[in-house]
Amino acid sequence: MYKFKRIYLPEFIEYLQKTYFVFAPVKSGTETEFKQITSFTEIDQSRLNTTISPKEIFFPRSEVLFTYDEDGIKTPPKREKPAALWGMRACDTRSMRILNDVFANAHQMPEKDMFKDPYWIDKYKDCLLITEACLNPLSTCFCNWFSSGPFDETGSDIFVVKGEVDYYLKGITPKGKEVLAGFEKTEKTIAKDEEELKVLQSIADSYMNPPTDLGDLKDKLGKIWDDPLWDEIGAKCINCGACAYVCPTCHCFDVSDEGKGNKGKRVRLWDACMFQLFTKEASGHNPRSNSIHRVRQRIMHKYNYFVDNYQKFLCTGCGRCVTVCPVNMDIREIIKQILDHKIEKKDK
Amino acid sequence: MTELQNKIKELISNKTLDLVIGWGNGSMPLVSTPMFIKSEADAEKVIFDPTCRNNLATYLTKDKRRLGKDYEKIGIVVKGCDARSVVLYVTENQVRRDQVFLIGVPCHGVIEKKKIFDLTEGREVLEKKIIGEKITLKGREFEITVPLHDVLSDSCLGCRYPDAREFDLFIGEPRDEVEVKGEFKVVDDFEAKSSEERWDYIKDEYSRCIRCYACRNVCPSCYCNECFVDQNDPQWIGKTPEVTDNIIFHLIRNLHLAGRCVDCGACVSACPVNLNLRIMNKKVEKEMKERFDYTAGLDINEKPAMATYCENEKQDFIMG
Amino acid sequence: MCNTYIPIPMKIERIINENPDKSLRTYNLSFVNEADKEKFVYMPGQFCEFSILGKGESPFGIASSPTEEGILKFTVSRTGSVTREIHYLQEGDIVGVRGPLGNWYPEELVRGQDVVIIGGGFAFTTLRAMIVYMLEHRDRYGKITVIYGARTPEHFIYKEELDEWEKRDDIILHLTIDKPYPGWEKLIGFVPTITKEVRLDSQSYVIVCGPPIMIKYTLPVLSEIGFQDDKIFTSLERRMKCGIGKCGRCGIGSKYVCIDGPVFSLAELNKIPEAF
Repeated sequence: MYKFKRIYLPEFIEYLQKTYFVFAPVKSGTETEFKQITSFTEIDQSRLNTTISPKEIFFPRSEVLFTYDEDGIKTPPKREKPAALWGMRACDTRSMRILNDVFANAHQMPEKDMFKDPYWIDKYKDCLLITEACLNPLSTCFCNWFSSGPFDETGSDIFVVKGEVDYYLKGITPKGKEVLAGFEKTEKTIAKDEEELKVLQSIADSYMNPPTDLGDLKDKLGKIWDDPLWDEIGAKCINCGACAYVCPTCHCFDVSDEGKGNKGKRVRLWDACMFQLFTKEASGHNPRSNSIHRVRQRIMHKYNYFVDNYQKFLCTGCGRCVTVCPVNMDIREIIKQILDHKIEKKDK
Repeated sequence: MTELQNKIKELISNKTLDLVIGWGNGSMPLVSTPMFIKSEADAEKVIFDPTCRNNLATYLTKDKRRLGKDYEKIGIVVKGCDARSVVLYVTENQVRRDQVFLIGVPCHGVIEKKKIFDLTEGREVLEKKIIGEKITLKGREFEITVPLHDVLSDSCLGCRYPDAREFDLFIGEPRDEVEVKGEFKVVDDFEAKSSEERWDYIKDEYSRCIRCYACRNVCPSCYCNECFVDQNDPQWIGKTPEVTDNIIFHLIRNLHLAGRCVDCGACVSACPVNLNLRIMNKKVEKEMKERFDYTAGLDINEKPAMATYCENEKQDFIMG
Repeated sequence: MCNTYIPIPMKIERIINENPDKSLRTYNLSFVNEADKEKFVYMPGQFCEFSILGKGESPFGIASSPTEEGILKFTVSRTGSVTREIHYLQEGDIVGVRGPLGNWYPEELVRGQDVVIIGGGFAFTTLRAMIVYMLEHRDRYGKITVIYGARTPEHFIYKEELDEWEKRDDIILHLTIDKPYPGWEKLIGFVPTITKEVRLDSQSYVIVCGPPIMIKYTLPVLSEIGFQDDKIFTSLERRMKCGIGKCGRCGIGSKYVCIDGPVFSLAELNKIPEAF
């Protein structure tokens, strides 16, 4: 493991900027979001848990797919430098890798070029994900339900812990190791540092609520499709969609044309399966017109369908949906309700 | 058990009502959760305290309109603003008065989570205690006690009608209209700024909007089957979160709320990026009051303001 | 890298009105760029996203067979804002097309077998593609039986093709309408009823496409006759946007209609609760 004194962070950011566009948590009004920074002073050091997840660095809120005019169709210019993300939590890093599976490798068919999303791939290519250990987990955090935790290095290129005096860093991938090796202010850690790291980790772990064993959640969901339990679970949801917008793994989008005469553009923008009009067809038929069905869809997609296709949950336990929901739909409670539910045998 | 719990238990057990919508304890210290009470056991879990933010009237319309098909009469626990929403529904023919049983509760304001967030400088509150007029907030390494007044929602600070004026049952004694100073302070302060300052502020603020439509979806007054924003024939505004489209979305939504917004604060509470939404709402409300002496949801026999013509209205905008 | 979001330009060669009130039109499109034509390799059952830049996109099943060189055929019903714009188009106009998308009818699986094709109303588009393809390679397949039901004689689409096929002796055509109609001498009855009356071999493969209500009543008839679930195929429709399994709109269960479909066997659909 390596370290550099915290006062050298500005220099580290400058060093990264030689090769990368650097993104970090930045204050935006009263909230904190991931934005591109030009200088270290813009970083909001007080919070790691941003309101909106960093997925928008590679999958923006709205994005031009192409513009068109008399001369034909033009796609937007490619990103000139790859992106480096500083200050992500482990849950966000894992989410980013999951999203990459979806956009770059749809349905596990990497050989099928036509299913790859060039807009994501262009922005994500050669990116550097720097995960910062979560020293102050929130009570809403439940990443440890997914075999993760505040000090989880999975998916990171570099793993960082903010100590009292130093930043401790570990290169996880060859790319991460190379980047660290190129920064002259790094030194090797000593025994005392290892002690500090152990203490920080045990404090962070102690703040986490004990995890719930997800057990056979996926299979259980497969058995309760018609169960009246969904009426109970979904009764209070008002389909506002806030959960989907702040979620780091949600990736549904809408495509819309905006044009006048023979000039215009086609854009894609965030959407949510929670909205009533999501599946409404031109004929007027709507397969999911009932709000309970939409709540069921969200939960089934994240904890059952996605597992079928990608062998992992479409959730990393970041807790943003719990914080933001206006009617206190707490996914942790919902999952527990599903796991505890006794299926009544139906008489046919 | 509290009087509220007892009364609801009674209504359920004597079969006056099969469903009562109220609030219960949330999964986090600063929030409550809407509860669908169908049994006496459920009734014992009902609460009413400053965390009861949600306007439960919203469950009568939108998607939940089907509740009206499943239940002849639905009970709802209502604060002053919530009751005004129900009155609005009756005047707009969305719900019949005999389809709802209103249980009024005495409201002294609800907590605004975001104000607490500012107070604790972003540190999470793990425990709260409200004793009298004070609230104590405890976190991992802090404990703060402040007057409850300091963390109440801005909507509550300027609220004239804290108790339901239309109800079937009231827990306690309902107060009538309450004296309030600076009801439109947020508007007056803003209007005092220069035109440039105001435009810059609106541009900065609304460029943060992510067009998640949480404000519209939680709003009890927004229950159109197809919102103007979702129409594509014609397409009124662009769907992307560009600042011009964002501003137009909020402007039009607020104009559609003229004479209909009850300032319950649901939109402010639901916004994930904490936009200053009340600035537009309150301005429209102020205009309605000054031009037409109209406040939404007060009189169940009144016709909706924007659907009525009175000969002696102010016409100065026509002739100058 | 290929960018499946970008449409290729195609020219409208011919517009055919399929019914008297002109709410249903068939468009024959040709490729503007030779290179696009070379790359466009498809099979019956697949679909395309038809773009009118500035207005939007809609998915349509390809009604032409790949054996019909150089053209793509689509039949469009005027329903919403995009299809209305499509109906304003004239011969010679340029539109955008993305495709071919989705999977296709199990052409290889049905070689050497008898095939029954059941269609209703204007859901006959991809079925036309399949029939034309099979007739071009006639000796690959066993008996071909077609049951096609429409409300009135005017509601059939591809009337030219139907006339031609009736004259052939290597394909059996059962055309039926809902109620008696002046001048109509052929079958009268709903598709499920006719399916029961016509003698079908339960070992055949079946491809059935039609409005949801027709499918709902035809499937039980098929299972009564003894057709196996993994030999019955249908084409599903859902609201679509990206067409490549990313935007989440057309998801049913863990499948996406745009990648895993639109062609599904009944055996597959029975495993997906949301499909019905």
